[in-house]
Amino acid sequence: MNRRFLLVGLLVVIALVAAPLVMSQSLINAGIQMLIASLFACAFSLLCGQAGMLSFGHSAFFGAGAFATVHAMDAMGGAGLLPTPFMPLVGAVTGLLVGLVAGWFATKRTGVYFAMITLAIGELLYALAPHLSGWFGGEAGLSTMRMPAFGLSFADNVQVYYLTLAWVLLCLGLLYLFMRTPLGRVALGLRENTHRMRFFGYNVHVASTLVFAISTMFSGVAGALQAINIESANYVIFNLDLSAQVLLNSYIGGVTYFLGPAVGAALMSFFGYVVSDLTTSWLLYQGLLFVLVMLFMPRGIAGLVHAVAQALRRCGFARLWRAFALYLGATALLVAGTTFLVELLQRLFSQDYRALSQIGGNAWPDIPLFGASWAPLSVLTWLLPVLLLTAGIWLLARAARHWRRALALAAPDDDSPATTGGGRLVSGASS
Amino acid sequence: MDYFIVSLLNGLIYGLLLFMVSAGLTLVFGMMGILNFAHASFYMLGAYAAYALQPVIGFWWAVVVATVLVGGVGVVTERYFLRPVHKYGHAHELLLTFGLSFIIAELVKLFFGNYPVNYRVPQALSFSAFHVGPSAYPFYRLLIGLVAIAMFVLIYLLLTRTRVGIIVRAAIRRPAMAGALGHNVPVVFMAVFGVGAALAGLAGAIAGAFYTTSPNMAIELAVMMFVVVVIGGLGSLEGALLASLIIGLSTSFSVGVDVSLAQVLAYVGMGDWARGIGGLLTLKLSSLSGTIPYALMLLVLLIRPYGLMGAKE
Amino acid sequence: MSIHVVVKPLVLCAALSMVGMTTQAEPLKIAIVETLSGPQASTGLMFRDATRYAINKINDEGGWNGEPIKLLEYDSQGTPAGAAEKLKAAIADGAQMVVQGASSAIAGQLSEDIRKYDIRNPGKEVLYLNVGAEAMELTGSKCHFHAFRFAGNSDNSVKALVDAMKAANVLGTKVYSMNQNYSWGADMQAAIHREAEQGGYEVVGEMLHDVNKIQDFSPYVQKIAASGAQTVITGNWSNDLLLLMKSAKASGLNVRFATTFLDQPGNLANAGHVALGAYVVHPFDAEANDSAGAAFSEDFKSKVGHYPVYVEPQTVFGLEMVGQALKAVEPEDGKLNINKLALAIEDTTLNTPVGEWRMRADDHQILLPMVVSEVTTEAKFKVDDTDMGFQPVQLLSGAEAEAPVQDTCKMKRPA
Repeated sequence: MNRRFLLVGLLVVIALVAAPLVMSQSLINAGIQMLIASLFACAFSLLCGQAGMLSFGHSAFFGAGAFATVHAMDAMGGAGLLPTPFMPLVGAVTGLLVGLVAGWFATKRTGVYFAMITLAIGELLYALAPHLSGWFGGEAGLSTMRMPAFGLSFADNVQVYYLTLAWVLLCLGLLYLFMRTPLGRVALGLRENTHRMRFFGYNVHVASTLVFAISTMFSGVAGALQAINIESANYVIFNLDLSAQVLLNSYIGGVTYFLGPAVGAALMSFFGYVVSDLTTSWLLYQGLLFVLVMLFMPRGIAGLVHAVAQALRRCGFARLWRAFALYLGATALLVAGTTFLVELLQRLFSQDYRALSQIGGNAWPDIPLFGASWAPLSVLTWLLPVLLLTAGIWLLARAARHWRRALALAAPDDDSPATTGGGRLVSGASS
Repeated sequence: MDYFIVSLLNGLIYGLLLFMVSAGLTLVFGMMGILNFAHASFYMLGAYAAYALQPVIGFWWAVVVATVLVGGVGVVTERYFLRPVHKYGHAHELLLTFGLSFIIAELVKLFFGNYPVNYRVPQALSFSAFHVGPSAYPFYRLLIGLVAIAMFVLIYLLLTRTRVGIIVRAAIRRPAMAGALGHNVPVVFMAVFGVGAALAGLAGAIAGAFYTTSPNMAIELAVMMFVVVVIGGLGSLEGALLASLIIGLSTSFSVGVDVSLAQVLAYVGMGDWARGIGGLLTLKLSSLSGTIPYALMLLVLLIRPYGLMGAKE
Repeated sequence: MSIHVVVKPLVLCAALSMVGMTTQAEPLKIAIVETLSGPQASTGLMFRDATRYAINKINDEGGWNGEPIKLLEYDSQGTPAGAAEKLKAAIADGAQMVVQGASSAIAGQLSEDIRKYDIRNPGKEVLYLNVGAEAMELTGSKCHFHAFRFAGNSDNSVKALVDAMKAANVLGTKVYSMNQNYSWGADMQAAIHREAEQGGYEVVGEMLHDVNKIQDFSPYVQKIAASGAQTVITGNWSNDLLLLMKSAKASGLNVRFATTFLDQPGNLANAGHVALGAYVVHPFDAEANDSAGAAFSEDFKSKVGHYPVYVEPQTVFGLEMVGQALKAVEPEDGKLNINKLALAIEDTTLNTPVGEWRMRADDHQILLPMVVSEVTTEAKFKVDDTDMGFQPVQLLSGAEAEAPVQDTCKMKRPA
């Protein structure tokens, strides 16, 4: 299992390194954003998924890293405190120090209270930052320029991409190794049962603070990479939005897996980048996606991939391909139906439409959508999304049935209790 | 003196408004351990529902129907969204409500547009109640306060003096035992969530007319609600009332205080040094009045995390 | 039939079409990087609609170099970081000009990013067209050759308001300055103080309050009442303006409001008759110059669906000015020389329905006429489906509304 995982990992790294040779400039930009978001999500997930401390104010540390890096880049008359490739170290140190202080206070409490403290810290920083223009540059933010170093000009995005890639891979590697250290194991213990940890003799407060600080250190690196990328930092980074975004990304990816948050962050980042220019309702789609993932994929996308991999191992592709096909078809239909409905409603209720209906004599002019014109009063217009959605749900039900049947008929596996006699009875009745 | 009285009244009324909105949130948290991020969205739904219904059935009926509608939305949310994820833990439920708040905000923008809408206090109610010095005190503000107080009294009596209240309180403390005794605990949870949502909807319907009704009203109030609930104590109705009043009064009075830390330090001769440092030290309290609640929240969390009137776990 | 008879003409056609393709002009691309989603989307969408209208108008008159201008739209999602990312995408897609206006923070980010890009890529410059952000520093410490502002700023807004209200005898001698605690509010406050002598008033009180956080303005109204002010000059927008005015009316405070953003859509509907008697300064009013404004308004309405309000007129006029400057620039190898265009814009004057628009070369701030209007029920063009509208009180020409160049602007011009 490990070797296969390493092989896949190596292929992914090679793909990432080769990507700029084939990708357009826009995609390279998107790629940098995805990498930074992945690192931030993994750093956040260290605290949230591994140590079980849900934090609502993590953008504070991301922002602290960003601002410190901008200051460092502006230092010494613009020459920069460190050569550009080493700038993220500034972010790391800042994240660590701020995290130690904030973590000391925040980890005095647990659970919801911990989350509320981090929320309060984040909100306070967001409220105070615009007033402290020396540090945070007021509401226009601080601006800086990347300086050439080691013969590289860092003037174009490809070099920034490779710098970001190098640091993200390094930090992900360090995070993984951290999990293997004693402190990393203690973090898991903190999630499971702090009471018992105390009985083992661990100083829970100190351990929590250290784990908090490690998490914020890597968040600071992510912030530094962002500052290097866009050569500026603005206090709106401290907004609840960014903390919420990293939370969403981590859970969509799946916090119980190490690379889950990275996958979630990359996907959501790409989704936002592409879809935001296609429709103004993209936040609605993002919200729907999130709620659906929460309801039906509690372990996130990584969990889904894991479940599929497990099923493939147990049943083999031959038994499962029908279910796959049905699931894909169902997803396509549901996406088409939902998108059509949302876009239709958005145009129907928009101000432009209301104005259009006033200009022409017709009170309900046709709505142009996806290359065709749809009359809002015609039954067909509304029948289409309804049909798509119904068909999608029906296909989904059939796909689920095929899946369950395939799993039940497969050879029983040692570590899976689902194929005991009870499971077979249930799935036998449903076919 | 006039200034003091008006500030006092304003602070109290604003506090009571905050209480109206946060009452449901603290109840739901106390009962189910769910910190409902969508609560502010219910507030917004109440305002928009009342706005949509006002031209059809008049103001008072619109308020009533809006309250019931939002309560219905709450019941549906609990039954079909929260109950399935209950087994995955509190973090999951919280995140789900978070996603729901996004969806509700976007749906409101979809149907009603991005701009503030024309939801106004009816002519019949926009007169002034009395005069304090040269300023008039609008009656509608007092109405908001009265509705909030009535709400508090009703819920308090409901919880402490009726049989339903006892069952609900038992379901909070010992859900398994209450279930074993034959009470339908899931239905109790659903009802409590629905009532909490209805309260937020009522607050939105009443307050939305006086303040602005726009798609951003949920975001504006959301964090403040959490501040109230945390300071008051998660699960305590009286705590929420006390915390709302404290926040309302402090926000109201701090506007009049044009003093900065540098000026205070000037009394011990360190004024010039403080002004030289600038930044935080030269900020006037009046400019920071919106920030005080967060500072209070942080203080309470560090010193007395279960809030002013919450129960120690 | 011999194969040569078939093949030769085909090859010739192919060769000719390839030649045709290389000499075919590339269309000029203009990008708009704006807040099209999220809480501040309402303003961003207005900028987008106005930009679409203006570009369509330029294309109806022939576009540039025989090709219609292509408009690329990008959603900055309301944050400076998002705007920076979309700017890179726009440049990667070939945009040579970037239009934006909804937020001064984003404007600062874009202006700086474009300045740095232009330094790093001489010969492939990009122009920044600011059609709405009014922070002073954009034509002050952050001014640069490749940025143009086609909007007013706090200095000339306050000057216009004060001059017009003084002439109409409604200003009074005691003024309260109520503003938001960030750069815009601070700029407004500074301008209000600066105009005090000219306007013949005393600033009896001032306040910088939290932005978009305050639900209850009654304590602030208390302070205004206690100061005895007759007029409140405020740069507040959105909730901060609405709640302030509603609160003042509810307390029975008899004070006149002089605002810069009262004409934001939704404000009059929400405020109701509370807004009657308030003053606003804006770059356009349909009634301002007799029938000239009406013709423009009707044309805008026929294409976009509503009368041009708030930020739309200035966006249209600004882009029309760029269109006019484009006519004076010849293509070089089928491409547009941005530096030549910038110089052309500096020389352009546009005759708009409210007067002459001229670009000041020192800091690239547009010198534009300002209209000061009062909210009355007698206006010809009603707003927001209410019975009220903005009736012009005075139209100040570009010269009359002009505020001096800031010392902090040190523009480096290309050789």
